[in-house]
Amino acid sequence: MNTLRNLGEGLKALRNKRGRNAEIDEELQAYIGESVSDKMRGGMSLKDAMKAARAEAGSADSVKQKVWSAGWESWADRLWGDMVYSLRRLGHAKALVLTVMLSIGLGIAANSTIFSLVSRFVLEPPPVGEPSSLVTIYRSYEHGQCCNHLPAPVYRDLQSQSQSFSGIAGYYELVPAAIGAEGESKREWGQAATENYFDVAQLKMAAGRGFAAGEEDAPVVVLGYRLWQQKFGGDAGIVGKAIDLSGRPYTVVGVAPRGFHGLDQVLDSQFWVPLGDLRELVANAPKEESRVMQWLRTEARLKPGVTKAEAQRELDVIAQRLSQAHPATDKDDGFRIEPVGSFMARDKKALEMFLLALWIVALLVLCIACVNVANLLLAQGAQRQREMAVRLALGATRAQLLRQMLLESVLLALGGGVVGVLLSLWATYALSSFKLPVPVAMDLSVHVDWRVLLYTFALSVAAGFLCGFVPAWTASRPVMPNALKGEDALARPGHRWSLRGVLVVAQITLSFVLLCAAGLFLRSLERAAKIDVGFRSRGVVMMAVDPHLHRYTPERSIVMLREVRERIARLPGVISATTTDGVPLSMGHRSDSFEVPGRPKLQGANVVELYMAGPGYFETLGIPRIAGRDFGEENPTAPKIGIVNEEFMKRFFQGENPVGHMVNGAGVPYEIVGVVKDTKSRTIGEQQRPVLYRSINQNVASDPSQDGYTVMARYEGDATVLTKAMEIQIHAVDPALAIFNTQTMEEHLYEALFLPRLVGVLFSVFGFVGVTLASVGLYGVMSYSVSQRTKEIGVRMMLGAREEQVQRMVVRGGMRLVLIAVALGLPIALAAAKLTRSLLYGVQPWDVATFTVVPLLLIAVSLAACWIPSRRASRIDPMDALRMD
Amino acid sequence: MAGDSTDLIQGTLEMLVLKTLALMPMHGYGIAQRIEQISDGAFRVNPGSLLPALSRMERAGHVKGEWRATENNRRARYYTITEKGRKALRNETATWDRQIAAINKILEASS
Repeated sequence: MNTLRNLGEGLKALRNKRGRNAEIDEELQAYIGESVSDKMRGGMSLKDAMKAARAEAGSADSVKQKVWSAGWESWADRLWGDMVYSLRRLGHAKALVLTVMLSIGLGIAANSTIFSLVSRFVLEPPPVGEPSSLVTIYRSYEHGQCCNHLPAPVYRDLQSQSQSFSGIAGYYELVPAAIGAEGESKREWGQAATENYFDVAQLKMAAGRGFAAGEEDAPVVVLGYRLWQQKFGGDAGIVGKAIDLSGRPYTVVGVAPRGFHGLDQVLDSQFWVPLGDLRELVANAPKEESRVMQWLRTEARLKPGVTKAEAQRELDVIAQRLSQAHPATDKDDGFRIEPVGSFMARDKKALEMFLLALWIVALLVLCIACVNVANLLLAQGAQRQREMAVRLALGATRAQLLRQMLLESVLLALGGGVVGVLLSLWATYALSSFKLPVPVAMDLSVHVDWRVLLYTFALSVAAGFLCGFVPAWTASRPVMPNALKGEDALARPGHRWSLRGVLVVAQITLSFVLLCAAGLFLRSLERAAKIDVGFRSRGVVMMAVDPHLHRYTPERSIVMLREVRERIARLPGVISATTTDGVPLSMGHRSDSFEVPGRPKLQGANVVELYMAGPGYFETLGIPRIAGRDFGEENPTAPKIGIVNEEFMKRFFQGENPVGHMVNGAGVPYEIVGVVKDTKSRTIGEQQRPVLYRSINQNVASDPSQDGYTVMARYEGDATVLTKAMEIQIHAVDPALAIFNTQTMEEHLYEALFLPRLVGVLFSVFGFVGVTLASVGLYGVMSYSVSQRTKEIGVRMMLGAREEQVQRMVVRGGMRLVLIAVALGLPIALAAAKLTRSLLYGVQPWDVATFTVVPLLLIAVSLAACWIPSRRASRIDPMDALRMD
Repeated sequence: MAGDSTDLIQGTLEMLVLKTLALMPMHGYGIAQRIEQISDGAFRVNPGSLLPALSRMERAGHVKGEWRATENNRRARYYTITEKGRKALRNETATWDRQIAAINKILEASS
C-alpha cells in the first residue's frame, strides 16, 4: 500500500514536473511570507524582515532540489536524463552501435539457444497441475542403484501401504495403435494408464474428462491435443463418439490439454487408454503378476504438507517390508523419488553434463564478444577524453560519468540481447529439426520461452556491465592536463602493455580453443560418417507395418509378411527384399542374456542383440556370410535356428566355428546354422556387440515385436517411385494396413549420426562466431594503433622507411599478439580436448590434423585482419601526418 | 543555520514534526516556529530540511497536506497527522526514550 502510494505520487510528480515545482515554490513562498509577517510583528521593517527571512530559508533552487531528492523520482529522473542523453549520443555513432549489437547479439544468441535446451529438458515441468508436488517413483536395485520402473504387484503394494501420497498412478509408456478408418489409418503412439492418471496429474482437460472409476479396462480413450486437431479437425463434439483404435471401437471421453504429451519430456504420446486395455493393444505385453518385469512408470501426488524427504523415508520402510515378504524378488531393492518428468538418473547426468559443457562454451563465446565490445568502447573512450575532461572540469563527479557510460553499454547490450533473441528464434527452429533414429514418436522441439527471455535479459544486462566497466572506469579518470589539450589522456606513461592488447590476446586465445574444439568435432563427424557399419546404406528403402494393430493372429502375420516380401521382391528395380522386426542403429533393440551349454558363463558380457530376419536379409543389407547357410522360409514350428555374427563367435566360442551348436537365450534354445560379418547394432560409435539373427517365421508367435515389422528392399532407380509401388503392394495384400516409418537407409543413417552432427554443428557455429569476433577485435586494435601512430609513421617515412617496411612493422605488431595467443591457447585446447573424449568418434583428442590446420587458419585470418590497417599505415602521407594538429 | 542551534538528525526532525502536529494541523512555518519556541531556540529548522522531510512524511502516509488560508490570508499548505503518523510517533518516542535512558546510564557510569 505504502510502496504503491509512493510509486503513484512519484509518477505523478514526474508526469507533471512543472506543477510539482510550482507547488514547492508556492509552499516556500508561503513559508517565507509567514516568516516575514512574523518578523514584522516582532518590530522589523519590511525590508529587513524580507532579507532575514530569505537568508534563513536559503536559495529557493536548493530547497526545491532537496524536496525533489526526498522521493525516488528524482533518481529515476536523472536516470532517464542519462538514458536520453545516451540514446542521442549512440544515435550519432551508428556504426559503433551496429557492430556492438551484432557482436553481443551473436554471443547472446549462443547462450539463449543453449539455455532454451536447458529450459526445455531440465527446467520445464510437464504441464500438469502443481508440478512441485508430483513425483516419479523409481525402483532402485542392489541397495540404491538407480533405476527401474515398477513391476505391477510392487505398484499395488505401494498403493495399499503408503500414506504419504494422495494418489499413485501407473502407466505403460509405449502403446502403438492404428487410429482412423480402415485404409487410411495412421500408427500413433500413446500410453496405457491407471484410471486415476489424469486426477493425479491434475490436468485441465481441453474437452471432456479423464478416466472415471470403474473404467480399468473399458474401451475408452483420451485423445492428445495434436491428434485431436490433426485427425479429427478439433471437432468439439468428439467426446462421446466412438473412434477406431487398432480395429476396435473406443469411446472418446476427453481431450488432453494443449501441449501435454505425457509426463515424459521427450515421448510424443497422443492418446491414453486404461491400463487394462494394454493386453489388447500391445503385442508381448508385460506380465501382470511378475515381480521381476519392471515396466510400470509410476507417478505420485504428495499429500499436502508431506515433504519429499518424509515420503522417501516412508518408502524406505515399505521397501524393507517388501524385501522381507518377497526375499526371492525384492531383496536389496528400494524406491527412489525424483521430480516428475525427469530423465532417469543415468541419462539425466549425461544430459546435464552435456548441457553444462555447451553452456560453458556459449559463455566463452559471449566473453569473446564482450571483450570485443570492451575494446571498441575503450577506443570510443579515447575519443571522448576531451568531453569527459570538460564535464569533470565543470563539476560532474566521476561516479556520474561512470554511471552514464555504464548506462550506455548496458543499453547497447540490451540491443544486442534483442538481436540475440531473434537469432536464437531461428537457431531453436533449426535445432528442433534434429531427429533421433528411433522408431517411436518423440517431441524434441525447442522454443524460446519466458525463462529464456528472462535469462537473456539478465545476461544482456550483465554483459553490458562486463564490457562497459573497464572502458567506463578508464574513461572517467582521464589524465586531466593531457585531456584538455586533446592529447592521449588514457595512456599511462611507462606501460609497455596496453590494456587493449591484453584483451585481444585473451580473445584470440579463447577463440583458438573454440576453433580447435570445432575442428575436432568436425573431424569426428567426418570419421563417424565413414565408420563401417557393416551393412549397405545406399539403395535400401524401408517401411514398416504392424499386423498386431490390425488384430492379425501370428499365423496370419507370417503369411502376410511373406506375401508382402514376395510381391515387393518382384517389383521392377528391386534386387532383393526381406523382412525384419527392427532396423539396426535405432539406439537399442531386443536383447537377451545368452549362454552356451557346456561352456563357462560369460560374466557381464553375455548380452546379445536379437534381430528377426526373413529370407534374403543378408543379401539385402549386403552383409557377407562367413560360414553355414542363410535363412529360407523356415517352418514356424520347427526347432529355432539362429545365425550369429563374428563377435558372437569370438565371445561365446572363442573364435571356433559354432555352426551346429546349441545356444540358450533367456531360456530359449537356438541351433546356430550360420555366421555372418559384424555390423553395428545400437549406435554408430559403439564397441562391437554380439548379435544373433533369428528366423522371423519362428518368432512372430512366441516373441512378437512391439513396434511392428519392417520391409526392406534393395533397389536400383528412383526411391520415391519405388516407395509408392511398395505401398501399393502392401495395400494389395491388405488395404487396411497402416504403413509407417518409411525412409531410406541413408536417411536413417543420417539420423543415426545425430550426436556427432549436433556437436559438430554447434561447435562450428561457436568457433566461427568466435574467430569472426576475434579478428574484428584484432582489426580494431591494429587500426586504432595505426591511427595513434600516424605521426610516428610519418616521421619514419620522412626518414626513408619504405611502404613494405611500414606494413611489415604494423603486421609484426599484430602477429606478435596472435602468436602469444596461440601459445597460450594450445595447452588449454589440448586439455579441453581430453575432456571431450567420450564425444569423439575415431579421433584422438590430440588429432594432428586439427592442431595444425586450426593454428594456420587462425594465423591466416589474423594476417588479413592486420594487413588492412597496415595498408592504411603505408599510405600515410608524411607531410599530412606531421601537419596534423 | 544559526551558530548556537543544534543540528537535528533526520529521524529526530520527523519525530519532532509529528509531535508538533499531534496537537493541531499547522503549515510549514508554523511547525518551524513551534519547534523553535518549545525548545527555547535550541533547535532552529529551516525550510531546506523541513520541506523535504514533510514531503517524505507525506509520501509515507504519516501526515496529510492540504492548501488552506493562513490567518494572514495567505495560501499555505497545512499538514495534519494521520492515524499512521500517530502510531509512528508512539514507536519513535518509545525508541527514543530507550536510547536516551541507555545513553544516560552510560554517561552516569563513566562520570
